[in-house]
Amino acid sequence: MKTILISIVLIFSTLTGISQSNEFAGAMGEALGQFANCKSISDYQAAGNRFSLIAGTEKKEWLPYYYHSFCYIMMSFMEPGDAAKKDSYLDEAEKSFTKMIELAPKESEIYALQSMFYSARLVVNPMERGQKYSALSAQAVGMALGLDATNPRAKFIKLRNDMGSAQFFGRDAKEYCPDAEELLASWDTYKVKSPLYPNWGKDQVATIVNECKAGK
Amino acid sequence: MKTLIIILLLTILQMTVSGQTVISGIVTTAEGNLPGANVYLEGTYDGVSTNANGEFSFKTQKKGKMMLKASFVGFETFTKEIELNGSPIHVEIRLTEAFNKLEAVTITAGTFEASDKKRANILTPLDMITTAGAVGDVYGALQTLPGTTTNGESGKLFVKGGDSEESQTYIDGSLVYTPYSSSAPNMSVRGRFNPFMFKGTIFSTGGYSAEYGQALSSVLLLNTNDMPVEDQLDLSFMTVGLGVAGTRLWKTGAVTASLSYNNLAPYMWVVPQNYNWVDYPSNTEGAVSLRQKTGKTGMLKLYSSYTSSKYTITQEDLNHAGKYNDYNLENGNYFVNTSWKSNLGEKWTIAIAASFTNNNDNIAYDTLNFKKQLRGTHIKNVMSYPFSNKFTIRFGAELFSKTYSQQYITVANSIGSHFTNTTSVAFAEAEVYASSKFVTRIGTRFEYSGYLQRANAAPRISAAYKVSKNAQISAAYGWFYQDPINDYLLYTSYLKFERADHYTLSFQQSQNDRTVRTEIYYKNYSGLAKLNSEAFYLPGSYTNTGSGYAKGVDIFWRDKKTIKNGDYWVSYSYIDTKRNYRNYPETAVPGFSSTHNFAAVYKHWFGSLRSYVSLNYKYSSPRVYNNPNSQVFNGEHTKPYRSTDVSWSFLLKQNVIIYAAVTNVFGYKQDYGNSYATIPDAEGVYRSAPIVPGADRFFLLACFITLSKKGEANQVDKIE
Repeated sequence: MKTILISIVLIFSTLTGISQSNEFAGAMGEALGQFANCKSISDYQAAGNRFSLIAGTEKKEWLPYYYHSFCYIMMSFMEPGDAAKKDSYLDEAEKSFTKMIELAPKESEIYALQSMFYSARLVVNPMERGQKYSALSAQAVGMALGLDATNPRAKFIKLRNDMGSAQFFGRDAKEYCPDAEELLASWDTYKVKSPLYPNWGKDQVATIVNECKAGK
Repeated sequence: MKTLIIILLLTILQMTVSGQTVISGIVTTAEGNLPGANVYLEGTYDGVSTNANGEFSFKTQKKGKMMLKASFVGFETFTKEIELNGSPIHVEIRLTEAFNKLEAVTITAGTFEASDKKRANILTPLDMITTAGAVGDVYGALQTLPGTTTNGESGKLFVKGGDSEESQTYIDGSLVYTPYSSSAPNMSVRGRFNPFMFKGTIFSTGGYSAEYGQALSSVLLLNTNDMPVEDQLDLSFMTVGLGVAGTRLWKTGAVTASLSYNNLAPYMWVVPQNYNWVDYPSNTEGAVSLRQKTGKTGMLKLYSSYTSSKYTITQEDLNHAGKYNDYNLENGNYFVNTSWKSNLGEKWTIAIAASFTNNNDNIAYDTLNFKKQLRGTHIKNVMSYPFSNKFTIRFGAELFSKTYSQQYITVANSIGSHFTNTTSVAFAEAEVYASSKFVTRIGTRFEYSGYLQRANAAPRISAAYKVSKNAQISAAYGWFYQDPINDYLLYTSYLKFERADHYTLSFQQSQNDRTVRTEIYYKNYSGLAKLNSEAFYLPGSYTNTGSGYAKGVDIFWRDKKTIKNGDYWVSYSYIDTKRNYRNYPETAVPGFSSTHNFAAVYKHWFGSLRSYVSLNYKYSSPRVYNNPNSQVFNGEHTKPYRSTDVSWSFLLKQNVIIYAAVTNVFGYKQDYGNSYATIPDAEGVYRSAPIVPGADRFFLLACFITLSKKGEANQVDKIE
């Protein structure tokens, strides 16, 4: 009888164990669904809240921090005018970077996003910040590619940075079109480690490729 | 037994499936309902964001006592224990604004801060560099701010009716004994440091903290850059010289070594000069800068430079009609500055700074040789401890030691004199925020001079109050002491500290990238050192009987908003000052002060041309000077000072910048008064010659190239 009891308890505890990690996957899946449909600052704010809640519960996972800072970076890009507000969103995003780099210091995706984060800082005041943050952004994306040379998001961010500076310096950004096409063509060969891992960017590259084709 | 198992299973089942609790409510702040706030049960996935009306509602399966939390950026997180038992819970949550030092009121009386740390700042580090007319000189850029008076024949800082010796410069906390280049009398100097070395600048024109002493009028605090971003090689080609700098990074530190050579000869062959040069000005400078992270929070910085410069000029000897003498100056300046900052444990922070200067001037004039040497050391240790985020104490100790010597060598003999003064200092200061609207800073500074054998205690107090979201008033009061000038201390130690009392009241309003700032002040000088006879070598000739006052109004207006891609500021100051000091026979308006000072700076970014253009205009009303042929002391007036300056920076490529600047574009003839003979000629007249600038205009053309692995770091920060 005792054995039955013990086995029941054991089964039960494994069940709850599984259900705990399932709970994380479930919560992340739900939040990612919300995240995918974000269209406005308040949408991202709500999604960011979800990720911050998950991050607060699962203290060992870097992914909730990743998406949390992603939301705040998007909010900063979407904020129409108020520079102080843009910076305060980015201050929030920055807190998550500190956390996720502690948890996963060798994760290429984190530095790819960090490159985007520095670009967001730059955009707040290009005249004052251009020099410092363009260098930081280039450095971060270099780090991302150094950790994983095949990371398509890192490649995309580098491509976008290069095209941006080509435009700024009066060169034809079209010289990067073949790179964009190649990136798009090879996009699906990259294996995403799990359904919760970052998997964005293909649409953005497709947009660039379409603009290239349209001759813009 | 079976029953037991069934009961057990049922209980478990019930635990997981039974009754949900609905938690609902509303989140508000002082300004109304708050949408987007995160409301959740701590340690669970159960939570929701508030809707557009600040309302929320969510269900939870959890039972028993749990923590309900509500958070939003910029507000204190709300926490409440609730009992979950299936019956609905309604909570009304009120969030209070978090105390944020960066957004709270700051003491702005007397202070201009340029950094990107605080958003409320009036100036940014880039402003220090891109202001036309300054041509890469830190002090030149500061002279577009209210409270300063431009003295073209000096180039140094003159603040609120104070002489240039009353302003001190600190780098990373330690004193710079020789902030300016060496020069012959009545020839303009520049700052020794490239403005791009600094990430932030605080220019205080009065009422500054107890941490800073030995300055009667103002302190300029320069903070150097932290870690460079990548390995790079910087090259600069200018019409006045060449430079190269290499930066190498490692995981926790970096080193930059630079070498530059400037020679004005080619430039001065092309552009007509007012002076008769024998040897054109030239200098060679080598510098090494080191950064090393220590532990998790520490940063060690070291900067060391050696500069050697020289020139020879021919000047008329006013004491002997028709006689011309060569004035030859050779300067060697060695400077080391080091600092270490770190957290000690959770709360304590420590900052240690030290500097050493060895400055040698060798002057040959006619048959006379004249050598001056200044060796100065400054060591400082500051500790700070926050009792809470609203109450911080800072205290520290300092040691200043300087040895100054002079030697006259004539054909016949050699006369030398020197002194060493060691000053020990302790200071303490408390900063208290009563709320995010009201802050007070109280401190005292104690100094003891070994050479003067005197001590002083200098209380300082300042406060600021936020009258509305974007406006604040700020006031400062304090006593400020300084040693008499080196040239007096060579001959006497029977002098006291000179003293100035500052009263400052300022109002500042910043909104939508527009800032207006006005300040009124009164300064009372006492104990100023006086030289009462021609016999400068007799200790008895000196007394502390001098005194004076300065009062005035400063107005500053900056607008980055109205003109797209454009940015301008306008400053005006009115100064009323008189003093009796040094060899003045009576109380008079000093020769360095202008009653009305006006500056307007405009900057524009032309995106399609990748060009940053800056234009500025400066005006200072006539200054006085003394004519020994007249009965009236300081009775003569110069013409006003006027200058229109332009600069243009062009990003040719990502790593190539072209820079061009012209000062005094319209060639306005500056008048700095006359210099006079020290002895009258046969007719009893003191002969005179006008003091003029080296040239009416100054042109600079430069090209800066940065080479790095990625070719992505440009060098906007090397414009000089």
